[in-house]
Amino acid sequence: MKIKTLILYAALMVFLVLTMGPFAFVINSSFRDNVELYHGYFGVPRAFRGMGAAAMQVARGDARAMTIENSEGEARAVPPREALGHHARLAVLSYTRAWAVIRPYMVNSLVVSLSTAAGVLLLATMTAFVLSRYRFFGSRLLFLFIISTMMFPGVLTLVPGFLLVKQLGLLNSYWAMVLPYMAGGQVFAIFVLKSFFDGLPEDLFEAARIDGAGHLQSYRHIVLPLSKPVISVVLVMNILGTWNNFLWPFIVNTEGKHHVVASGLYVLATSAYASNLSTLFAAYVLSSIPLLILFIYATRPFIQGVTSGAFKA
Amino acid sequence: MGTKAGSILSERMRFTLSCYALLLPSVLLLSIFVYIPVLWAFSKSLYQFEVGGESEFIGLRNFGEILWRDPIIWPSLLNMAIFTVIAVCIRLSIPVVVAKLIYSLPTERGRYYFRLAFLTPIVVPGVAVQLIWGGLIYADQGLLNELLQRVGLPQLAHGWLSDPRTALIACAMVGFPFVGGFEVLIYYAGLANIPQSVNEAALLEGCTGVRKFFMIDVPMIMSQLKLILILTIIGGVQGFEALFILTRGGPGFRTMVPGLWMYFNAFSFQRMGYACAIGVCLFLIIFTLTLLNIRYFRSTEELEGVR
Amino acid sequence: MKHVSFRSVLRAASLAVILAVSGWALLPPASDRETPGSGRRTYGDEVRFVIRVSPGQQYMPGSVPFGIGDPLRGLSDVIEDFERRFPDTRIEVLTVPGVREYLVSLLSSGQAPDIINVNVEDVWIDVQKNWYVPLDPFLEAPNEFIREQGAPDAPGYHQWWDMFKYQAISRGKAAPDGKNYCLSYDMVETGVFYNKTIFQEAGVDVPKDWDEFMVMLKKLKDAGHTPLLMHSELFNDWCTDLFFDQLYYAILPGIDLYQDPSREPYLQGYLDDFEISFLFRQGFFTKDDPRYMEVWRIMKELRQYTNQNIATVDLVREFVTRKAAMVWNGSWFLYRLKADRHLGFDWGVFYLPQFTKNTSPYASETPMCVIGGAAVQFEVTNSAVSDTPPDMPFEERMATSERLKRVIQFLQFLCVPEQYARIVNEYECFLPNIVGVPVAPALKPFEEILERRYTTTKWVFTFDLKFAEIQRRLIELYLNGGISLDGFMDWQTGNIAYGVDNLFFRKKFDVDQLQRAWEEKSPLRAGMEGLPHGD
Repeated sequence: MKIKTLILYAALMVFLVLTMGPFAFVINSSFRDNVELYHGYFGVPRAFRGMGAAAMQVARGDARAMTIENSEGEARAVPPREALGHHARLAVLSYTRAWAVIRPYMVNSLVVSLSTAAGVLLLATMTAFVLSRYRFFGSRLLFLFIISTMMFPGVLTLVPGFLLVKQLGLLNSYWAMVLPYMAGGQVFAIFVLKSFFDGLPEDLFEAARIDGAGHLQSYRHIVLPLSKPVISVVLVMNILGTWNNFLWPFIVNTEGKHHVVASGLYVLATSAYASNLSTLFAAYVLSSIPLLILFIYATRPFIQGVTSGAFKA
Repeated sequence: MGTKAGSILSERMRFTLSCYALLLPSVLLLSIFVYIPVLWAFSKSLYQFEVGGESEFIGLRNFGEILWRDPIIWPSLLNMAIFTVIAVCIRLSIPVVVAKLIYSLPTERGRYYFRLAFLTPIVVPGVAVQLIWGGLIYADQGLLNELLQRVGLPQLAHGWLSDPRTALIACAMVGFPFVGGFEVLIYYAGLANIPQSVNEAALLEGCTGVRKFFMIDVPMIMSQLKLILILTIIGGVQGFEALFILTRGGPGFRTMVPGLWMYFNAFSFQRMGYACAIGVCLFLIIFTLTLLNIRYFRSTEELEGVR
Repeated sequence: MKHVSFRSVLRAASLAVILAVSGWALLPPASDRETPGSGRRTYGDEVRFVIRVSPGQQYMPGSVPFGIGDPLRGLSDVIEDFERRFPDTRIEVLTVPGVREYLVSLLSSGQAPDIINVNVEDVWIDVQKNWYVPLDPFLEAPNEFIREQGAPDAPGYHQWWDMFKYQAISRGKAAPDGKNYCLSYDMVETGVFYNKTIFQEAGVDVPKDWDEFMVMLKKLKDAGHTPLLMHSELFNDWCTDLFFDQLYYAILPGIDLYQDPSREPYLQGYLDDFEISFLFRQGFFTKDDPRYMEVWRIMKELRQYTNQNIATVDLVREFVTRKAAMVWNGSWFLYRLKADRHLGFDWGVFYLPQFTKNTSPYASETPMCVIGGAAVQFEVTNSAVSDTPPDMPFEERMATSERLKRVIQFLQFLCVPEQYARIVNEYECFLPNIVGVPVAPALKPFEEILERRYTTTKWVFTFDLKFAEIQRRLIELYLNGGISLDGFMDWQTGNIAYGVDNLFFRKKFDVDQLQRAWEEKSPLRAGMEGLPHGD
């Protein structure tokens, strides 16, 4: 029994290490400078080694001068404490550069993703509720109408979608992103929520109806509380989806006032003459931080939600 | 009497109308931002059309070209089928195994943290994963070739993405070891929802281990498998971004898929109308596959109903 | 119970801390200049023109070339000077994605930045749509900033055109309709960068001709190195043009059917798309053309000495880790090597050696160089005339637009030598294309190469983007052994035929005149060997 458990853990750890590999690689690389990255894939960041050596000297109280190089390659001797600061600055250099690129877009990304998520929440719960609990003329057809949109190829709608947004006078505003994202993003949410609502026992609603609850009450007092975990899944998935979309924001923000983080990442990733991997990796890490924070707070309901069994067909 | 019938009718009507009113915002948004552009694009499939240029009605000629004259379409459809089948095989197998392993852990704490750990990498954007695979793993001096040299198989080392014999399979294998945190969670949910009575009955009949996994667990999570199947097929038919970054469909057309070919036609070849026709075909393929999927793969509920 | 409440307090507290930290990080307004591309500015009434410029990555303020050194600032300094000079104008620098779908969406609706940096081939296929402003009338007029300096012999005093150093290449950017939409801002030339240490160890030297080159490549390969790094784009661009030129130059007098009076002084013997189309119909560039077959035979021979995965563009790693002896690259690579302080070996540059009669009986054995291109070319988009009524004819819009005048002034300002040097010479990557601007010392070898005669084609860009796309895919497939030379030629013939048909469909030109020229040159061709159909 014990050996079996050990084997289980070992197998899972192997899978986990392989899965986390790229993640760890990105983080490690983000602390190495570009030259280092091109001279080898792995290794402790040079700046960390410098910091280590300087920290050792500081800790031992060894005041001998250490050599550091400035960005022009000129060497210079400085006290260990100053060397420590120098190497620490080098370690985060790619982060400061990446931050300069994506910082102006961070607020936009937050506004767009969060308001899209809020809109999707409102629309999807309402629509899924109606489609799941009530049978009326055309309800199945409407569901099909909504679900089929998952099957349309996205590239083709780029040009007509843009012309439409322009016609509606929405260019260079948050609406140009939020409304189309909401329209597209609600579909998967409706699909999942409907399948969850379908699974709620009819008795609950029966009981509520006998107690004199209207549709709105049963929606508010039965459906919403029960479906919190599923909703959290839908929201997290939605935010993940909008966060990494770069092309649409580029196209509808002709004046560049509402760009999002993903656009900044794209620019870093595709600058051919200046392939700058270390800044790019740092930018990936930075842009993931809001998602990670979201994750830390949403994991429990997220896992609960997926585990609730709504994700099936 | 007439008034009574009228009021019943109107109550029914009113109910239907109020349902419609509640659905209105969703449907309106979809109509404006999805259906109008899609219908525009689909209607352009009947035209010889380039963005910013003239358009000329040519009937079904674009479709004729797809079916009979375009030498790229059929090989790319085959590639798409291969990619999709491989993706389906991968996403319906390894995450299930991992979910089962997690589910078999003795403590709830352990199960929780492993689920969490496998989920975290989904914050890494897909582009980063593609860059790492194209630039680091498959490169000439990349990890794969280095590994082969270390284990004494230097003759196997080669340009994985540019050799016509290996490009396709190399692209399909991107993302190893294929443990998508989201899928693991979904399968885990399926496993967790298997009624205790079923598990106990299986135990009584001496059905354990690998046999139980195939005889009990897999059929009982059929609903989840079906969802992932549908999503994978949709992604497989529509998706081309990864290939765009990895090989642009090359060498030659060895990793070309219809989605990517549509992209090139729409934006590089000034043939928006033709691209739209390819889009219509892709939509029809997905639609048919999804219908078949829903019709012919029984979900868990139906299996339970049979039992 | 107590435990739970402690947890929730912890959660709430941590959330508050995170919110506070992120608020602190996000809220303080950044100063205008520090965040290029954000465009987050509002202006008072005194600002009449807000001009949006997308200069591309090469000179983007704030970007760090190759991730080495300090962030660039040259362009933003020049913009500051321009705004001081014209207080009613603001220049906003934007980053845009270099993808076709972005261009197509924005240009088709007049929403693109006023000045963008797009490859000339992308411009050519879109010119008839009035997406770009032709620059000839402005280039033929004085540069007003030079004129006001008052020296009549300074280039630009009479004509802006005169300021450009590489006339042939700059004027060669004219679109199929004969107008010039591209301002070639700088110049790129190519070279083979080699590792001197590896050369010494292997006992090889810089080759004098192609035969020596092949011997040397073999030696390096036998010594366990990757002899030469190339990516597939290189094979179908520079490599094709160099090979083509060496094999065809000798018979050029017999096949150069059209001399464009405006370009001939600069681009002697250049084969235009319609000339190539006509020649194709005479049997050239097919299996019957032994010269054309030689191009691909020699290329395949070279292929066996290059890196295996030619799909990757990022060849830096193999060279700096000393796995490869040589890398064929553009002049920009020089900066990358110079700035790498951990390189640990010496390197040099030479140009791809010439074929001899031994390599191929058709070798012309005359020096040439790849017809260079600009790393940065500026185009003025239809947004620049957005202050005029859209239903007016385009010429009239150009003539009346005040906004366009200011956009042109800005481009002229960028070409004033003092300003120009601040941008292009900020780091050693590209050669100046403005007369009187010093060339960075390390780039001198490339300047010398550019003084040679230019190649007679830009083969892969002869026809439209579809032709190019298929051509480059097939070359890659052929070089990687996925298709035989015979199959490759069948495909190619079909593809060229498609390109020719599409050209005839889109563009009118005088076939009779070409036919006449063809017949007139028949005596010249009489003594030439290896022409298709034994003509």
